[in-house]
Amino acid sequence: MRRGTVFVLSVLALVAFGLAAWGEGERVLRITFAWPTYIDPAIGSDFSSSSAFVNLYDTLVYPDVNGDPQPHVAVKWEVSEDGTVWTFYLRDDVYFHDGTPLTAEDVKFSMDRITTIGQGYGFLFVDRVVKTEVVDDYTVRFYLKEPFGPFLTTLYRLYIVNKDLVEANIKRPGPYGEWGDYGTEFLLTHDAGSGPYMVKEFRTEEELVMVKNPDYWLPIPEEAPDVVRFIGTTEPATIRTMMARRELEISDQWQPQEAWKALDAIEGVEITSFFPGTSFYLMLHTRKPPTDDIHFRRAMAWAFDYETVIRDIFPGSIQSRGPVAQSLPGHDPTVFQFHRDLDKAREELQKSKYYDQLDQIEVEYHWIAEVPDEEKVALLFMANMAEIGINVKVVKVPWMSVVEEMAQMETSPNIVSIFVAPHYPEAGSILESRYHSSSAPTWEQNEWLLDETFDKMLEDALATVDREERFRKYAELQHYIVDLCPSIFLFDQVEKHAYQAAYIDWPAARGEVIPVMGYNMAARFIKVYPEKREALLKGG
Amino acid sequence: MGILKFLAKRLVFSVFVLLGLSILIFLISRVLPGDPVRMALGPRAPEWAVQQLREQMHLDKPLPVQYYYWLSGALRGDLGQSLFTRRAVIDDIKEFLPATMELALFAGVIMAVFGILFGAIAGRYSNTWIDNVVRIFSYIGVVTPSFVFAILFLLLFGYLLGWFPTAGRLSPWIQRPPVITGMVTVDSLITGNWAALGDALWHMVLPAVALALGGMAQEARITRATISDNLKKDYIASAKGFGVPERLVMLKYLLKPSLIPTVSILGLDFASLLGNAFLVELIFNWPGFSRYGINAMLRKDLNAIAAVVMVLGVVFVTVNILVDLVVAWLDPRIRLGAERGK
Repeated sequence: MRRGTVFVLSVLALVAFGLAAWGEGERVLRITFAWPTYIDPAIGSDFSSSSAFVNLYDTLVYPDVNGDPQPHVAVKWEVSEDGTVWTFYLRDDVYFHDGTPLTAEDVKFSMDRITTIGQGYGFLFVDRVVKTEVVDDYTVRFYLKEPFGPFLTTLYRLYIVNKDLVEANIKRPGPYGEWGDYGTEFLLTHDAGSGPYMVKEFRTEEELVMVKNPDYWLPIPEEAPDVVRFIGTTEPATIRTMMARRELEISDQWQPQEAWKALDAIEGVEITSFFPGTSFYLMLHTRKPPTDDIHFRRAMAWAFDYETVIRDIFPGSIQSRGPVAQSLPGHDPTVFQFHRDLDKAREELQKSKYYDQLDQIEVEYHWIAEVPDEEKVALLFMANMAEIGINVKVVKVPWMSVVEEMAQMETSPNIVSIFVAPHYPEAGSILESRYHSSSAPTWEQNEWLLDETFDKMLEDALATVDREERFRKYAELQHYIVDLCPSIFLFDQVEKHAYQAAYIDWPAARGEVIPVMGYNMAARFIKVYPEKREALLKGG
Repeated sequence: MGILKFLAKRLVFSVFVLLGLSILIFLISRVLPGDPVRMALGPRAPEWAVQQLREQMHLDKPLPVQYYYWLSGALRGDLGQSLFTRRAVIDDIKEFLPATMELALFAGVIMAVFGILFGAIAGRYSNTWIDNVVRIFSYIGVVTPSFVFAILFLLLFGYLLGWFPTAGRLSPWIQRPPVITGMVTVDSLITGNWAALGDALWHMVLPAVALALGGMAQEARITRATISDNLKKDYIASAKGFGVPERLVMLKYLLKPSLIPTVSILGLDFASLLGNAFLVELIFNWPGFSRYGINAMLRKDLNAIAAVVMVLGVVFVTVNILVDLVVAWLDPRIRLGAERGK
């Protein structure tokens, strides 16, 4: 019994010692994320993976707060007149975490690897980049299949991996022929980057621990975190408790409404909101009666109560102005915006060829079962349409079934409500994925627009290298789409995070938001003040 | 000899049960709507990349061929690749199962010790205030899901009082012991890492107690009912009449036979902890097998689903056999019956 007591006391003493020993001056930044987090740049493309990449790897160009590409590993670049050959001149003072210099060979290897594997952000380069050439140690050249103006913007997703390190860790045989597994097993838990942070520990479905790279080629402020922990949980009660105990600095974005209120009530914690460029659409089938009639579609757009959605169902979001989110580079703020006006709705409905058959017509509206709040939008829509005599049948459908039914024109319903995010931060991305004929059989387009004029205009815009000119063409396209009213442009989604405003300085929370997913989680720009945290803990 | 024969019969029977289970789960997981490879690679992955992975996982083959590949792999200890963790499912199991086993063992001990103790006390003092208190708490324990306890404990002992950690298996500042069994407490003991042991136990208190309370209440109710029934039986009156000491009557003649139904339920409760710990693991960010299993189902991670169900099947079958053995030890009628080959 006495021995047992001694043991218990020893354990308690050690725990107490551990507690006391922790946190003295160490700058730690803890962020919660929804798992999975992939740290292999050829595999991941979700929020947490993208947030890890910006900390572990470098890119040729880096976005500024306007989404404009700025020199990073590439000091300058040039493009051929026809827009198909892009040459980048690299810095010669960038080193990987193992001390190997970053050269053009590594850039070529990274591009070849991501296009061969085809996963993650590979879709941005597959079928677009036909060849990558090493001109010399610090010059690399990409040959594109056809001119592509936003190519620089897509390079935010080409994370440069250390060729020598990956090659040394390739497992053969593997699915990629002579390249074996292309290092995918190794890069599942290790990094091969040159970024401001390095992987210290990776525990699947639990935690990614990164430490500051002391030899980073760019200056990192002293107040930047020494350790960054990505914690794999989104459970509201856990997040709230960790925040209150100052064991978490930034929360994930997946908290329910009531959780935001509770988090906001914690002293020193604030909620910040960004607009990541994702929009919520009611996609109207333009080839299926009665939504094939433009007046019918416009009548619905006039009758819908946008205000209630952004005020009560998705608070914090803003009403969309056209097909492109207002925060997305290339958005045109002059685009027409519908609002609720029942007189105009009735006026349009009278022009519709279905006006005399309204009692015999039913509009089928599918919402995604996995997003419960969508049901509220669907029911509101049904009630709004009943006011002008349109019958709506609301159907709850699992996501995978929605994807399958949207693959064919015949099985696509009249209306589907879906969030769509841009593939790369430019208006052209959303215009292409939402309305180009090539995307019609995918879940990103229920409209089945199949409009040759639009396709040609868009292809021309995407082939325009000059950014200003390209954006002017995007503006025309946005007006063109709004005139056709193939969708109800409901709202731009808000991304919220709770953060410890009392002891961290986060540029994104101050309004310096980079409109590219993951880049606002670059820890080198976030400052942590442990002494303020201690004071808060003592005071609280 | 009878026991060995009984055991051999049960083992042979178990093989058929597991084989049937594997066919069932294999079919069910594959008829669910949605393409698992497309889900894993995302909607924007090029079709050739999706096809490549499909071929790699033999998903382009007919179902019987897929099952053949899966079964022959499983018999060699290769349960295939997980579509989401992107590594061998067997590696996932090696990592996640010990975490949940550790939690379940801890919860199981709490469940057994306190369930039987409270049940025995309530049974011995049936219809007194002690009995009433135990019964009320047992009812509450039985009807309350473990995740409710988990949230309550988290908010009370983690958030308001701050006595216990709220997430994970170890504090970040504690040196992790090397992985030997995968159970942090055991590995800490083996390596003499007392700080890690204390910290791991400290982390385990809230999730383990939350997980144990339902089963504990169930065990207490069953033990209490059996003890209060057996108390009225003639052999107890005889023992008392012969002047056998109260303590001996309680422990030897009353408690031992009264534990038979409790042990049967305890075994099943313990096995089901492995599968039912999902929400508790989620709330305490415990990187366990149960959470892995549910995530596998949500993500339609075919190989992971099959592996999780098979592991749970093996655990249930094993626990059932163990329970039969313990019950045979507790009840001479069963033991002797088996020995006579009945």
